[in-house]
Amino acid sequence: MTGAESVTGAGAEPGTAGALSGSGAGSGAVFRETTADPRTQAVPLSHLSLELGHLYMEDFEAGPQRLREHFARVRPWADAARAAATVPGGRRPRVSTCFLIDDYFARFSSPAELVPLIVEEAGRAGLTVDYLARESGCAVTGKVPVAEAVAGRIVESPPPGSYGLRPPARQTGWLANGERSPVARAPQAMKRAVPWEPPKETAARRHSVFLDVELWSDDADGHRLWSCPFLAAVWQLARLGLLRNEGEAVFVAEQPDPGAFPEDWDELPSLVRLNPRADPFAAYRTASVLPSRFLPVEHAVRVVLDQLDVDHGALRQVAERSAREHAAVPDSVADRVSYVFYAGP
Amino acid sequence: MARPEASAPDAVLACGEVRTRLLPTRQALDIRSAAQFLALRADERVLLSERPALYARSPETLTGVDCPLPSANGSRVRAVGTVAARAALTEGRVLQTSAYFRLPSTGPDQRRPWGHYLVRPGVVEPFGKLLPEAIAEGVLGGGRPGDLDVGLIADGLLTRLLRHPLLDQRPPLRSRPTRLRWAALPAAPGAGPSLERFTLAEDDLRTVRLRVPPAIPPDRIAGLCDDLALHDWLLTTVVHLLDGVRFGAPEPSARPRPGDDRPAAVLALRPAVDHLLHLWMPRARVASELAPLWDTLERQPGFTRQWQALVQRIRDQLTLHAIPALYREAELTP
Repeated sequence: MTGAESVTGAGAEPGTAGALSGSGAGSGAVFRETTADPRTQAVPLSHLSLELGHLYMEDFEAGPQRLREHFARVRPWADAARAAATVPGGRRPRVSTCFLIDDYFARFSSPAELVPLIVEEAGRAGLTVDYLARESGCAVTGKVPVAEAVAGRIVESPPPGSYGLRPPARQTGWLANGERSPVARAPQAMKRAVPWEPPKETAARRHSVFLDVELWSDDADGHRLWSCPFLAAVWQLARLGLLRNEGEAVFVAEQPDPGAFPEDWDELPSLVRLNPRADPFAAYRTASVLPSRFLPVEHAVRVVLDQLDVDHGALRQVAERSAREHAAVPDSVADRVSYVFYAGP
Repeated sequence: MARPEASAPDAVLACGEVRTRLLPTRQALDIRSAAQFLALRADERVLLSERPALYARSPETLTGVDCPLPSANGSRVRAVGTVAARAALTEGRVLQTSAYFRLPSTGPDQRRPWGHYLVRPGVVEPFGKLLPEAIAEGVLGGGRPGDLDVGLIADGLLTRLLRHPLLDQRPPLRSRPTRLRWAALPAAPGAGPSLERFTLAEDDLRTVRLRVPPAIPPDRIAGLCDDLALHDWLLTTVVHLLDGVRFGAPEPSARPRPGDDRPAAVLALRPAVDHLLHLWMPRARVASELAPLWDTLERQPGFTRQWQALVQRIRDQLTLHAIPALYREAELTP
């Protein structure tokens, strides 16, 4: 595969599993209805998607020196992640790098000012940023409500004893890695106060590390604000090539005119290819080099990823293609994600 | 290696339950409304088909379970995984929800991270080994409280859909929902699929026991059982409809309401003609390798034979009522 992110090159594989036709899938049926067959567009895939950083407003406000320091710290870990991404047969692994800018929680600067600065500072550290993404794109890309669709794919991990009734302890807008403590009620007359019971991590090894993640909050006008960990989970799915909208790929890289970045973030595509010779954006695995203060967020990302029923067609495509090129991909989506946490601001 | 639907060892048992009922709306939903009605997920298409009849099917949803499996021999094997569920609408008129899962013969001794189960949609893994025969009978017979209950999952999806604002809750005829439970054991090596038993149990419960080659995916078995459930529901509904009708010459006391001079039989049978008679189409949505199983039911008791007799009876009654009353009474009363 060349470095070009060409979706047509990969082709759209008509999914045959689950088709409505009575004649059975793939049996060379004479009559077909396109609306009756599930279809999943394929996306080109690298071996590794390497994230070189997240940029928040406070980082930007700290001046260009902060960016320079950031890339200098990231460089050795990025090299290590690249070196670890070996493929069988000694062939060159396909690795693409990406950088995420937060334009969702706060708006600052402009693409025209910031994008060239990032490219320059990365270059100074000997790094190339292949793709640049906007965090808003993880909430909505074009007209596709990506975050909402992903939220609709949460299948909560069932605590022991779940036999088919909906999990009783469901909390809208929150997702936990186990069972919450029972709600403590004010003791009524004639009734004893219920003693405190601890929460319980479902996959605990002897002792629990219980985590309850806020996925979104709604303001007084009913406007939904997605939480940082939830958008980061969407970002991981995008990098793993597992996001689809009605079978079509979401987060397709666009290549803007070099040197003509817009003044407004909204005019910049959700995903921009900065390096025309880059390997495909999406990959079998992801690695992110982040400062340690992101550790709680990324723990939450793992809790979310572990409870997402991602597009079956996309999962199947990744499995088939990785098997064809003998690249081992972990079963569980959360296990396809890895990190380097470095000490730093 | 990630193989979302193949990494589990071969299934030794697939089970499910289908709920079938009339859509509670005055008019059948057209194909566009059907797509809107069944859109369980914002990012996944509803599958639509117009040949040989209008048919729409929702995306699959998953429900997590961690509980004992029902069994006929009293063993309580704990199992963890996901049950798949989907809904389908035939001719915008009959709503079905179907929940199903498959079981490999063995599983790990302890629960794995949840992500492991989510990449195997519709697979429930037992702890240790299980006896498929005992589980199949347990599922068909209904488990004890706390055992895995796929019917609850089908029911939950049905309840969710019945709250949809597209429904005006004014069904054109009286009918009862039915439940069909099924269990499919593996066929002997080299043998084709077979229908071992179709039982009409209590009022609204049917059970089906099948044998299928292990390579056949469970959603196709569920497709066959949906088709059986749909046609069994049609028979049940039309039989009940005819049950309540008084045939023969109208008695003077049983005169219809003033202003409506249509006889009671016509009023009672008309909804069947309007809403049900065109729905009979066995095998329309059944995978070709499973379609021959219908032949078993056609031979005995003869589903289509009974349907044709019912349809003929309805048409004869309506024809009779088309003859002016004067001649009809004269010819029919000895």
